[in-house]
Amino acid sequence: MKILAIETSTPASSVALGEDDTLVAMSVHVDRRGHVEFLASAIDFCFARAGWKPSDLELVAVDVGPGPYTGLRAGIATAQGIAAAVGVPIVTVGSLTALALRAATGRRRIWPVIDVRRGQVAVASYRPLPGGVVADTSPEIVTPEEFAAMLAAEPEDSLLVGEWHVLPEGLMRGLHRVKTGRPRYPSADVLLEIAALRAANDDFAGAEEIRPLYLREPDAAINWTDFREEGVWPGAPS
Amino acid sequence: MSGPLILGIETSCDETGVAVVEGSTVRSSVLASQTDLHARFGGVVPEVAARAHVEALRPLVHRALTTAGVHSDQLDAVAATQGPGLAGALMVGFSFGKALAWSLEKPFLGIDHMEGHLFAPLLDHGAYAPPAVVLLASGGHSQIVHVHDWGRYELMGATIDDAAGEAFDKLARFMGLGFPGGPAIDRASDGGDPTAVRFPRALPDRPYDFSFSGLKTSVVTFLEKAKAEKSVPPLADVAASLQEAIVDVLVTKTFNAVEAAEVTTVAGGGGVLANRRLRARLQEEADRRGVALYLPSPALCTDNGAMIASAGTFRLGRGDVASWPADVNPALRLA
Ligand SMILES: [Zn+2]
Repeated sequence: MKILAIETSTPASSVALGEDDTLVAMSVHVDRRGHVEFLASAIDFCFARAGWKPSDLELVAVDVGPGPYTGLRAGIATAQGIAAAVGVPIVTVGSLTALALRAATGRRRIWPVIDVRRGQVAVASYRPLPGGVVADTSPEIVTPEEFAAMLAAEPEDSLLVGEWHVLPEGLMRGLHRVKTGRPRYPSADVLLEIAALRAANDDFAGAEEIRPLYLREPDAAINWTDFREEGVWPGAPS
Repeated sequence: MSGPLILGIETSCDETGVAVVEGSTVRSSVLASQTDLHARFGGVVPEVAARAHVEALRPLVHRALTTAGVHSDQLDAVAATQGPGLAGALMVGFSFGKALAWSLEKPFLGIDHMEGHLFAPLLDHGAYAPPAVVLLASGGHSQIVHVHDWGRYELMGATIDDAAGEAFDKLARFMGLGFPGGPAIDRASDGGDPTAVRFPRALPDRPYDFSFSGLKTSVVTFLEKAKAEKSVPPLADVAASLQEAIVDVLVTKTFNAVEAAEVTTVAGGGGVLANRRLRARLQEEADRRGVALYLPSPALCTDNGAMIASAGTFRLGRGDVASWPADVNPALRLA
């Protein structure tokens, strides 16, 4: 099965092509704002490298976060445009899961961290299993201090992966059971592995799942005094 | 019925628009308006807009193709708005359109939203041709463009503060008329006396520029004072009077430009051009001067995918095809 994977949940965008679980071509680019610029050209490059035509494609995998929404939306819109044109299904993957899966080597509990800006991080915890990981908690958005408290309450040895570099220095002081490690960013080749597995189980994303994982309400502050509320022209529609 | 088959995608603000256009014929034009989503805020919230575009786009593209009776393989190109607009909103349609074009192995066209408005009248009036003066007014923009030729534009005037549609929105919000403000004030002004209150017309000494923030202040001041004195005029009179102030300025400055540019063709675009009073006053003035006026139907005045496809037809003809690394440009300038 020919799969295209798109990853844009961090400053590192990546695109990967896979035939079942074999990586055929991949392109990575680290640029906080460069997702739109990178994606179509990287996909074009990878297809040329692989000698594939767009119509050869059988499945698209895309990361839906958590992560900054702008990048995620560029990736998701690209995945949707291609899937719509070629007429193939989409598989969605979480960024924290992609990080945890790549980190799953030891026996420590894995805590992937994604920088969602505004002084907050997205985290979740995973237990390593032979050949994979299993999620212990759902993704949530927390402040570094809240995260430190979560780790302090954690009885097991833990491994932080992902963008833990954005946490304030000294935050982990005294947390002796916590180690830090790699990878720093989720990457599209991991999505390929997950996608191949999902496709084998016919576990495709429904339309309502193909959107960023929104863990935060939109900021919406447009304040204007309302003349009508003061009782003038009560007949006016509101 | 001639010309290439182009799919146009518009996501620069709060309307998700997709259309299939063939020359000057609109084969289909579908829209997912976000008006209700933004209504409770009284204005467009960028993050809300971007979220809604992601939801709406794929089903709309499907519907536009089905309605047009076109299979995606038959398309000659895909066009999407590149700017100006809200970055997060633009990115959704632009990324989707680019990916669609790439998959279909067809050219991708990055379109200036404002050029889209300039090309909208072609869809209703195939014969409209430069040189012309075009009034573009909406919630996000207010400008007067001298179209010397297709692709050769000169910005003659622009707003120095609020856009005309923004003024309508803010005033409607203040008066409790809801969002969007233009249609709400248009309706509320029915039967009202436009001369009931004389609100100021700004920037009389700058022939082609607009300013609307002063009007907002003067309406608010007037109403607060009238309320204190228990002499608030009927809503219809206030709505008609403030609408007249905005319309007066738009019409006067447009025809100042028509005179200076020595053109005999005038056109318009943008949501504010759906306003009935503005359309009537532009027509009166055009007739009086013997100038031809081309106003798109109200549905093509507000943001839509057909105008993007229409400008795309021109860009494709010129070979202005976007490269795969092309990015959105929220601050794109027509001239
Ligand atoms: Zn517009």
